[in-house]
Order: sequence, then C-alpha cells, then structure tokens
Amino acid sequence: MLSRVADDLYWVARYVERGIAVSRLVDVTRHLELDAGSEDFWAPLVGAIDLASDDVRYYLTSDTMNPDSLVSCVRSARTLARGIREAIASEMWEELNTLYGSLATPTTARAVRGEGVSFARLVRERLQAFQGLAEATLAREEEWQFLEIGKFVERADDVARVLNRQSHLLAATGGSAEPGGSDVVRWLAVLRSCGSAEAYARYYSLRVEPVRLLEFLLLNPVFPQSVRFSLASACAALDAVAALRSAAGNDPGPAVRTLGRARAQVELTAIDEVFDRGLEPFLTNIQVLIAQASDELSATFLRDEPIPGRLVGVARATMIMAAQQQQQ
Amino acid sequence: MTAEPRSASVPAYAPDGFWDEMFEAPGQVRTHYVDLARRLATLGASDVAKRQRAAELSFQAQGITFSVNQDPSGPEKTMPFDLIPRIVLAEEWARIERGLEQRVRALNLFLHDIYHEQRILRTDLIPAELVLGARGYRREFRNVDVPRDVYTHVVGSDLVRDGAGTWYVLEDNLRVPSGVSYLVENRRVLKRVWPQIFADYRVRPVEGYPQDLLDVLRAVAPGTDDPTVVLLTPGVHNSAFFEHAFLAKTMGIDLVQGSDLFVDDAAVYMRTTRGRRRVHVIYRRVDDDFLDPLAFRSDSLLGVPGMLATSRMGRVTLANAIGTGVADDKAIYAYVPTIIKYYLGEDEILPNVKTYIADDPTERAYILEHIAELVVKSVNESGGYGMLIGPHAPVADHEEYRARIQANPRGYIAQPTLALSRHPTWSRDHLEGRHVDLRPFILFGRDVKVTPGGLTRVALRSGSLVVNSSQGGGAKDTWVLEGTC
Repeated sequence: MLSRVADDLYWVARYVERGIAVSRLVDVTRHLELDAGSEDFWAPLVGAIDLASDDVRYYLTSDTMNPDSLVSCVRSARTLARGIREAIASEMWEELNTLYGSLATPTTARAVRGEGVSFARLVRERLQAFQGLAEATLAREEEWQFLEIGKFVERADDVARVLNRQSHLLAATGGSAEPGGSDVVRWLAVLRSCGSAEAYARYYSLRVEPVRLLEFLLLNPVFPQSVRFSLASACAALDAVAALRSAAGNDPGPAVRTLGRARAQVELTAIDEVFDRGLEPFLTNIQVLIAQASDELSATFLRDEPIPGRLVGVARATMIMAAQQQQQ
Repeated sequence: MTAEPRSASVPAYAPDGFWDEMFEAPGQVRTHYVDLARRLATLGASDVAKRQRAAELSFQAQGITFSVNQDPSGPEKTMPFDLIPRIVLAEEWARIERGLEQRVRALNLFLHDIYHEQRILRTDLIPAELVLGARGYRREFRNVDVPRDVYTHVVGSDLVRDGAGTWYVLEDNLRVPSGVSYLVENRRVLKRVWPQIFADYRVRPVEGYPQDLLDVLRAVAPGTDDPTVVLLTPGVHNSAFFEHAFLAKTMGIDLVQGSDLFVDDAAVYMRTTRGRRRVHVIYRRVDDDFLDPLAFRSDSLLGVPGMLATSRMGRVTLANAIGTGVADDKAIYAYVPTIIKYYLGEDEILPNVKTYIADDPTERAYILEHIAELVVKSVNESGGYGMLIGPHAPVADHEEYRARIQANPRGYIAQPTLALSRHPTWSRDHLEGRHVDLRPFILFGRDVKVTPGGLTRVALRSGSLVVNSSQGGGAKDTWVLEGTC
C-alpha cells in the first residue's frame, strides 16, 4: 500500500486510541471529584497543575489549543481519515465524520458545559465503534496491520505514561506498603483510567495494592490494556508488514528491533525486578523505546527513506562480491 | 396517451412558456411522468420534506461534499439534491447515445490528426491558427502515439434543451470532467430515502460506471496485461476530492498524490510500504499544466518531475491524454459539426448551439452589437466562471465584456441565450419549475460506452440559468428507462 496512506492510517489509529484514553481520564476524575470533595485529584492523573477542575475538564475535552484534547483527537483522526477514505471501510469513515459533525451541535456543547462526562462517554463509544468496525470489516492486510500498530503503540504509551505519573507515590511509600484510605481511591482511579478496574478485580479478587496493580497493567500477558499485551500485539503487526517488505527485497529497518526490545523488557522482567531497578527509569525507558520505534517506523515504511547503516552496506558488499566472483 | 387529470399536489404549477420536462401544458402531465405524478399527489408536503432532509443527512454523513473556494479550513458543502427525478425515454436516450458516440469518435480522430499529419489544417475547413494557437494545444506531443489512438478516455458533455424541446450539445469537457460520483450517489440515496417511486418504472442502473472506467483504463495500459492503475488527485483540498476517493475506492485502485509518485529509469513508481511499485496507467484529475513541474509549471507541487517525458516514451499512459484541451476550447467547439463531417462523413446527430467566434471580425462585430442578447463565454474556462449572461447582466458588465473581447478576441465566444428547459423541483412545500441541463459521461477504451443516465444539474434560484455547483446549482437523479417499458 502507499506509504502516505499507511502513515495516515497509523496516526488515525493513534488519535482514536488516544481519544479513548483521554475520555476515560475525564470520566474517572469526575467521579473522584464527587467522592472526595474539593481535593485535587486531577493533577497526578493529568499532569496539569494549578488549574481549577472546570478548567482542567475544558482543557481535556474541548480545548482546541490542546492537541490531545478529545475534540482535537477526533478532529485529527477525522481529517486524516478523510484523505484516506478510500483505504478504509465506508462505515469507518462515516463513524468519524458523523462524530466530528456532532461535536458542533448545541446538545454536545451543553453536555460539555454541564459535566463533560456524558460527552466524554459519547465520544469514547463512537471511537470504540470505529475500532470495532475496523475489526469487523477490514481484511487482515497491511491497512489492518498499520491500524493495529498505531492502536497498540498508543495504548502502551498511554498506560506507561499514566503509571509513570504515579511512580512518585510509590517512591514515598517504598513500593510495597499497604496504601492508606485516600490512596486506595487514587489507585482505583488509575485502574479505571486504563479501563481495567473490573478485570483487575476478577483477576486477583483482592484489595487494590500498588505492586499487584502495576504487575497487572505492566506485565500481564493476557489482559488487552496491559503494556505487555499491547507491545506484543504491536510487534506482531509490525512483524507482518516487515515480512512483506523483506519479501519484496527491501530492508524492514530498525523499528522491528527497537519495538522488540521494549517488548522484551516487559516480557522478561518480574515485578520485583522492576522495583529493584526503579519503577520510574523502567517506565521511562519503555516510553523512550516506543517513541524511537515510532520514528523508525515512519522513516522506513511511511516515508520510504533509504536506510543508512550496516545492513545496506552488507547487502551492497554481498552484491559486489557476487559480481567479482564471476570475473575471476 | 392518457390525459391525466390535474394532480392534487401540483395545482399551482405553471410551465411559464418554457419546455417543461414533466408537463406538456398546465395541469397536463407527459405520459412517462404520469406514474410519478400520481405518487407525488398521494404525498403530503411534510412527507416530501422529511425525505428531503433524510437525503441531506445521508450526504452529510458520508461526507459527499465539495469545498468552496479551495479553502482548507472553509466549509464543506453538500451538493443540494432535489428528490424529483428526471425521466428520459428509451428512444430519446438511444438518439443521445448515438450522438455522443459519434461526437467522441470524431473528436478523437481530430486530436490524433492535429498531433500527427494535420490533414484537416491543410483544408480551409478550420483556421490552422485557431487550433495551433489554442491554449490547450501541446506541441510537445506532436507525433506522440497514445494506446489505441484514444485521447479522451472520459468525457462529460453538457446537453441542454431549448424551448422546442430539441437537445443541443452546449459544451464538451475533454480534460478532467467531474460529477460522475454524484450521478452514482444520487441514485443510491434516492433509492434509500424514497424506494417506493422506483416501483412503477424500469430504470437502467448506473452503478456499473466504476467497473466500466476500470476496464477502459486497463485497456490502454502500455505493454502489460496486468497493469497497475492509479488515480492521481490534487489532494484533499480539491473541490472534487470526494469523487476521487469514491472512484478509487469503487475501482479498488490506489488514490495517489504527486508526492506519492516518482520517476526513475524511464518509469513511474509509487512509494509503498513494501518499497517502490511500477505504475502503468494514471487516471489523472490534475490539469495538464500541473502534471510535471519540469515541463509545464515549475511551481506545481501537485505533479511529478519527469512524468511528461515518461509519458512521451509511452512508458506510462495518462488518462485523459495530455493536450485534449484544444478540442474543448469553446472556439473549436463551433467546428465540431465540421469535424464530424470531415472524419466520419456523417451529419451530426446532436446539434451544436449557434456560436459566434470573436476572433472572426464579422462575428465579433455581431457580438459587440448584440451583447445584451447573448451569452458570452471565455474559451478556456469552465464551472460557470468567466461568463456573461447578457439579458440578465447590468449595462456596466456589457461594457466590461465588450472591452475584454476587443482586447483578446481569441479568448471569447458568444451564443444566443437559450430558453433552457425546466423541470419541476421541490421548493419549500411545493413544486416549481427550475432550469436544468444534463451531463452524460462517455467512456472510450476498446469501445465507446455512454453511461445510461447523467448528472441533471438544476439552477435552484428561480429564473437562474446557471446550473454549476460552484454557482449555487443542485442535482437530480436522472432515470433512463428500459426500452420495453
């Protein structure tokens, strides 16, 4: 498929997934607020400080100056999808187009002014419908694989970021201590913001403990919101497109190795080893690898830039050698 | 002939002396519209309005829109759609079909001739300088062969009817005619929002168009049985982007932009996730001038450097071919009947509208004197731009166009103002007569094929003669009936 189209598909999937993550944050923090009264729960989740709740909510939902607000995510996804509508199912395009159109209606404007929660929920449902339509309508070809890479790279990055924002809490308690009353609420909020509270409850059937929670969100191999599951899925999709590129005689580039390294981190490390090395550096390393893999993916597949470095050199040397032998 | 009694929903409808597609006389419906009139009579105004809204929403949701003024942040508008279909009888259509095929065949012979032997230019039938001096003439393509000698793979000709109901060809669009996606989508939407009205008629389907187009494009590939065909779009900000995406999707081909293509080793390639891939046929929706920054406009970001040379070598086929614009120059249009006679030895089946060429001193004098009665058109413009409708324009505009014509006579032609036929069109809560034209689409690959239908464009403002979507026009579904109806 066209590199430009693959690039846009990758980013449509990232914006859709990011929109879902942001809408969960809006939802969760609103509930926290109601539980705990005036206490400021936004800051650690959102990374924004010195803002009143209403301002944060506006920042997260409707602020067009914030590139990661819900409205911005929907707009970005829809704008990109419009340029590649021939590459996705009509229903997928219509889902984003209708959602984008509905953002401007008076009802929506009221919902945002009111509490933002029903608005965030509506947007999330539409975005999840988009993902569902992709799942149901697209052949498992390159279009699908690039959407998968985008979705899971974004999800791994989002979850790693949310966890990273909480890592200072663990540093304060030494990591393994039982959380106090308000901390339980806070950790539950982390789970909810990753859409994982119910799954956690079913999986462990125990009270929320930071270490267990981190193990679940970071290292669980079967839960689809975990970093490990996300990276494994992203790697599988990337391997598939890399194989096609190799089969056509072209170098698949370094992204496969970089993303594989990130995946190995969460597959081959136990949770106590994570704490021994330090949670924050561990999470930061994962995020750095994801960002690097994303850049490399763009360079190779999405812009088809010539790949500098050893592999090309080796390939050329082999060719030259082959030619020399015939002349001997 | 059934003499239909006055229909309940249309008591106030008056043809006003124009040729009306539906009414023979006030209250008297033409035979092939009788069933439709009966349907309309049983419907309440609110019901029609409801369906109208449903159609509107459907276009909106699918993003069947065009952007106005090429403004990226500007509004995306849907083309206004009128629910009342236009119905064309089978025998009427058969004549249109033959007339269009004749015209397209003759124009392709003409194009081949003026880019090769130039036989017609050595006669006194058409002034050589009119052809060779036309803005659309590309001397770089002299003696370049194109596959099957086909230059115009896709043509959209504009037909109108005058007060007597006679069909005329108003102009031919031989470069990048657009609108065919509306033709297909209008039918789809009408079926969805008002399926009942199809029950009484046997309407020929139009949705085969993309497949027919793909056949044409594959048939003109250079030296391969399994060509890679792509559609080259100027991009998402182009007013017809929806159509480009629609056609690429329904044909299952890649929709490319200039930056997706490059030329290497005398071939055009596209950048893909697996590496480069050779492209054989490009259905380009980009004007000649913007195709290749090395050859034509160096400021063009839409084109592909080296594409022109590759096409001259016959290593890639462009559809339509470069240089077809000379044959839809409005001054050359006046000679199409001559061209048909010269190449085919036949009389034209569909007549031209009388055309005065300002480049000719006698005709120029006539234009300048009668400008208030005439429609003046710039020879290279389309889309309703660069045009003066004498009877409707203020005197100041007459003066302006007189000056323009005298400064650049080759740039203008004039035609009598036609009393375009009208068609009942839904207006708020009742039917009113609105002027219409018809743009059928003609494909030419192995053979000539006219899609049974066309885009009926409606001037939605009362009394207006301008049907272009860029100028506030709308569209109707157009039904061509099966022969045995």
